Amino acid sequence: MGKHQLGEFEEVVMLTVAILTNEAYGFAIIEEMEKRLNRKVSIGALQTVLRRLEKKGYLTSEFGEATSVRGGKRKRFFHLTSAGKNVLQETKEQRLGLWNAVPEFVVKFSH
Amino acid sequence: MNKKGNISPPQWALRFFRWFCHPDYVEDIEGDLLERFEKRTNENRAAKRLFALDVLRLFRPGIIKPIKSSQKLNTYDMIFNYYKVSMRNILRNKTFSLLNISGLSVGIASCILILIYVNNELSYDTYNSNYENTYRVIHYYGEQGEAPNYQTLPTNEYQVWGNAPVAPAIQDFFPEVEKVFRFTSDAPWLFSYNDITYSETDILFADSTAFEVFDWKVLAGNPETALVRPNTVVLTKELSKKYFGDENPIGKSIIMDNEDPYEVTAVIEIPTNSHFTFNGLISMSTFRNSRPQIFTAWGYVDFYTYFTLKPGTSIEQLVEKIPAFLAAKFPNEWNYYVEFEPLADAYLHSEAGRQPGPGGSMANIYIFTSVAIFILLIACINFMNLSTARSVERAKEVAIRKTIGSQRRALIYQFLVEAILVTFIASIMAAILVIFGHSLLELISGKTLPIDWLFSVQNVVLAIGAILLIGIVAGSYPAFVLSTFKPITVLKGSFKTSSKGIWLRKSLVVLQFSLSIILLAGATVVSSQLEFLQKYDLGFNSEQVLVVDFGYDSEVQRKREFLKQQFLSHKDVEMVSVSRATPGDFFPNAGTGIADPFSGEIVYKGPAIYEVDEDFIPTYQMNMVAGRNFSDDFPLDSANALILNESAAKLFGYPNPQNIIGQSFEQWGRKGKVIGVVEDFNYVSLHNEVEPLSIRFGTQFNVSVISLKLNSQNFSKTLAELENIWLDVVPHRPFDTRFADQNFDSQYESDKRFGMIFSVFSALAIFVACLGLFGLTIYSTAQRNKEIGVRKVLGASTGRIITLLSKDFFVLFVIALAIAIPLSWYAMNSWLDGFAHRISLGFEVFAVSAVITLLVAFITMSFKTVSAALSNPVDSLRDE
Repeated sequence: MGKHQLGEFEEVVMLTVAILTNEAYGFAIIEEMEKRLNRKVSIGALQTVLRRLEKKGYLTSEFGEATSVRGGKRKRFFHLTSAGKNVLQETKEQRLGLWNAVPEFVVKFSH
Repeated sequence: MNKKGNISPPQWALRFFRWFCHPDYVEDIEGDLLERFEKRTNENRAAKRLFALDVLRLFRPGIIKPIKSSQKLNTYDMIFNYYKVSMRNILRNKTFSLLNISGLSVGIASCILILIYVNNELSYDTYNSNYENTYRVIHYYGEQGEAPNYQTLPTNEYQVWGNAPVAPAIQDFFPEVEKVFRFTSDAPWLFSYNDITYSETDILFADSTAFEVFDWKVLAGNPETALVRPNTVVLTKELSKKYFGDENPIGKSIIMDNEDPYEVTAVIEIPTNSHFTFNGLISMSTFRNSRPQIFTAWGYVDFYTYFTLKPGTSIEQLVEKIPAFLAAKFPNEWNYYVEFEPLADAYLHSEAGRQPGPGGSMANIYIFTSVAIFILLIACINFMNLSTARSVERAKEVAIRKTIGSQRRALIYQFLVEAILVTFIASIMAAILVIFGHSLLELISGKTLPIDWLFSVQNVVLAIGAILLIGIVAGSYPAFVLSTFKPITVLKGSFKTSSKGIWLRKSLVVLQFSLSIILLAGATVVSSQLEFLQKYDLGFNSEQVLVVDFGYDSEVQRKREFLKQQFLSHKDVEMVSVSRATPGDFFPNAGTGIADPFSGEIVYKGPAIYEVDEDFIPTYQMNMVAGRNFSDDFPLDSANALILNESAAKLFGYPNPQNIIGQSFEQWGRKGKVIGVVEDFNYVSLHNEVEPLSIRFGTQFNVSVISLKLNSQNFSKTLAELENIWLDVVPHRPFDTRFADQNFDSQYESDKRFGMIFSVFSALAIFVACLGLFGLTIYSTAQRNKEIGVRKVLGASTGRIITLLSKDFFVLFVIALAIAIPLSWYAMNSWLDGFAHRISLGFEVFAVSAVITLLVAFITMSFKTVSAALSNPVDSLRDE
């Protein structure tokens, strides 16, 4: 079992990176999250989490090619590492385990 | 993407972002920011504001660049590394660090303390807002005859004490003068309030303009009207507290001299750095009412006159007009002249006689400043010597740093950082020492030395500058020497001793010990001169003479004969005399005319005057060299007799005192014959030669002290019994006594304090020098550890080894002695020239200081040399 528990925001960011596969750079991640989850994400919050996840070894990053847009600045593309994939998998299993343990009527009543 | 116009994000936000962002992240995040901005401008949203908001939200840990590693990463880390290595070095060599730091901290503390003292001396009178514009009148009282050339007359022929009419005359004659202020010399007064009665000294009469010329702090009352009406008195805070406690004294009355009530009109505080002080001021109008004739008499001397100039005028304008002023105002009776002296010169630079308060000495300031520099220099030399001596140990470090690629400059920086760090630690220690030393210095110097001025921003900056400077001075030599080491020689192991620095080190030790010997010789000379003054035959004997001061109390004056008889009836009292003053007290001068030895005409001179009775000369055991003393057998002595001292007889043209006996005299309205000549006695300080003196019979109204020659084994008992006798006769007057010899010695108080301060700092200097010597001994002994071991194995005795270890130093000491003796001989000779009666500088002074220095040095070294000589050779030899 992992010592590293993912936070909710971290988990969402990692999943978005996984969705975007080869196109996961800062602004694209924000757009995707805003579109799918309907929530505001600031660059600051996102970047902090991205760097933290990178430091933990769940993500790697590399620069793309410079383009004429965005002031000629290169994009930094993020990818899941195998450790990142493992921790996502683990998190998912934990959640499922929890869902399975919940008695059915409780969930139904709560709707 | 469509760019809409040329809208660009706010530059400040972008610049701010670039500044704070971690350099690794800056490119892609900036890209994201711009992309979002572009998108928002397309959507017509408040893009700029949101951009700024995004930037601000990025300002958070994780994005901000770390403080430690910026682009200047290398420099910062190196400095941090210097600091770390320095700290390790300081901690590893505890003995050397302790010696360095304690030496430097004592040096710095001494410097600061002396600075505090000197600053206080230089600050005298600067509290006055008119400081630059205030002047005082100094007077020349000549004798009859031809006038001297006033343009070339030296200032020391003048005196500050002068007459009353000059003040209104100046105000009247010079339109440039703003305010004129006079005060009189001090006198004791009897103060009574309710049941409290004390005799208070240092009470002056003062003009009502006092507060317009001097900025004394007025705590209560109205300064403008305080000294206008007669019978008003201004008290100092201390005096007010003494009589009124916490009451408001304004408007209350104090009974003065058991007669009139005087109204308290103000309470003031005089700054401690004032060149004259007092306990209370009485309005000048009071004095004018009692003796109006004085205020028009140019010959009556009792006043100090100060004045301020109007803005925009200069004193030169006034000085030019002095002859015209005197021609217009002074009734031309005798040779008289005035000069103006700035208030700024009053404390330290005035050579005029009869000052209103004790003066400072610029020479002493120079001496103290040099002592401060000497001590600091000695401490810095310690640092240099110990660092270079230990350079062998540091050589490997230097070599490895160089091999790795350190430049020479970087190494110099490193050692400077180390020196500055040591100085910094020493400064903190010094600050603690100053806190303790300050109150001690106040005690020794007898002054209040304010230190609040030290804590200004300017001084903090100066202090940091000084720390850097001392660090750089002390660290420069080791830094430059150590950084020149060649890595190959050092690392090969052929580098053993730093013979390079040895000459410099030796010269520095010589310098240190020269300075120490100079200071010690100075302290010895000062203390033996003071001892000489104490034991000097003054020409009179004031031992066991008790002086009762009754401050011209008329009741006591009336009963003086009866009091004398009462006192004489006590078994411990041998002689009793009533007089105006005693030797060492303040005395006036009197215009005195005596028949010229050739023409027989009366010639006027201005000798000092004593007013005494017939028992004065025997009480003080003075010797008559010609004629006779006053006597009861000649009842007219009180009206027509005069005694002179030898100097006065010479002054009037009678080198043989016998010849002046029987000559006519005129003095202060009295005419008669000279009846006697007394041997010269030193009635003022031995700084001066004996001045001409006339002694006349004091009338009832001119006496204020009673001198009792005692022969007592138990002074406190005798004193109590005498007090009872006194209170039986004059119960209203407190029994205010002092011992005449102590009173006379108090003239040397400032000399004594000077001597004490000088000795203390000299001792500190020698202490610091010894710390350095000790460090060097430890080092050289450690270097010769093996040699000592071998010598012991071969049979050298302990004594031989100690001699061996001390020999080098002894040579240095002899050189230091050769340098120090002429220098200190010259310096101390010029100091002694300030005394009319001085010791001659013999060889013994230098012998004593040399022996003391040598002894202290050998004892210091012996802590190490003896243990080295006693050590077991096995310990030093086995590791090979």
